[in-house]
Amino acid sequence: MDINKESINGRINLADSKKNALTKKFHTTGLINGAISGLTYGIYSTLVMVASGYDPLVSAAGFLAAPFVCSGLNDFIAGLWLLIYNAKKGRLKELGRTLKTKPGKMLVIGFLLGGPIANGAYLVGLAMAGAYAIPISATCSLFGALFAWMFLKQKPTKRVVLGMVLCVFGAIIINFVKPEGAPNFTLGIICALIAAVSWGLEGVFSSFGGAMIDTDVAVNLRELISGLVVLVLMVPAVGALKLLGGTISAGIPLVWLAVAGLSAAISFVTWYKANATVGCAIGMSLNVTYAFWGVLFCVLFLGQTLTPTIVIGSIVIVLGAIIVTMNPLDLFKKGGVEQ
Amino acid sequence: MSLPSRMAVLNYMNSHEAVDVKAVMTALKPLYGNEKQFNEELYMEHFMALEANGLVELDSYELDKDDNLIMNYRINADGRDAVAKYVDKKYSN
Repeated sequence: MDINKESINGRINLADSKKNALTKKFHTTGLINGAISGLTYGIYSTLVMVASGYDPLVSAAGFLAAPFVCSGLNDFIAGLWLLIYNAKKGRLKELGRTLKTKPGKMLVIGFLLGGPIANGAYLVGLAMAGAYAIPISATCSLFGALFAWMFLKQKPTKRVVLGMVLCVFGAIIINFVKPEGAPNFTLGIICALIAAVSWGLEGVFSSFGGAMIDTDVAVNLRELISGLVVLVLMVPAVGALKLLGGTISAGIPLVWLAVAGLSAAISFVTWYKANATVGCAIGMSLNVTYAFWGVLFCVLFLGQTLTPTIVIGSIVIVLGAIIVTMNPLDLFKKGGVEQ
Repeated sequence: MSLPSRMAVLNYMNSHEAVDVKAVMTALKPLYGNEKQFNEELYMEHFMALEANGLVELDSYELDKDDNLIMNYRINADGRDAVAKYVDKKYSN
């Protein structure tokens, strides 16, 4: 009897330790994925600016042409990278299946907001306000929480409101001193805000059953749809077809955009993987560190001058965005229990 | 046309008690079995993602006779609500 009991206890302990090891592995993988997603989005933001520094993009007329050519090519190339990834995983059929479902169709509406509109506005913002646009766009978690409150009746807690106030405060700090030699600075900041609002709205559309959709497939659709809509509809609409042809035949900017597209693809896949393993709150908080990385890379590689307002403003926005999405104390609590 | 696989997993759980990844795969094999994505690693990912999104919950875990960990998941109220709202009735099983 006792021997039996002992062996049963032993098996329970073994099951417990195996389960704990698996949970710990998921948690660690999730945190690493979240950190990579932030880093690669920072790299993407910087590389797009590098690509824009080459002819014919750098000398393009009008303020919309170059950003839309960049965002269209970048998203489309990211979509192609993701097609290769999904083909390797053997789930190309899932793309068509997903589009046929109700949640898939709602996601597509969100993609049109998050892709052509938000990404286009983000790149116009980067072109006009430089690195200053990056932390401003990170206020999208503020808008996400705000729209969830308005449309989905998800009332924010005091903590979320505090985070929102911090985001706004950080944005004001960044905008306080205009950098020299950026005549359209305020317009650039407004474009970054349009991006943040559209990303916030995109989140709302993913709440109609989007949780049942494989995110690696959703992200692939997002980049392809966004890239195609921008290249086929918006680039001709802003009269940039010649610029598109010139950029493709110039070669070097296209290579930079291909690497930027790869960074964006990795960023999205790892971000959603983090969301699915450690939860959206921690996933989003780690992703938003892209504002740090983006500003850092711009200072290191693109000669962006570091001013006190951009440093303090970025820190306040990232902190605010983290507080909107999670209680920072939970991160330490969870870590403590696991160890 | 078949449902996307993650949706199919949730849809299956809607009409069954707590299940582990192997049971779901056995049930879905006739529809998805010949696809490269039909493997335990990706199906475990479906379970984890559905759990992270608050549609299913871990019910129990145990060891099988070869000491492999078996984790049984169960659909919750939010998961049932999502299936009722967004999965076409013709896929009910």
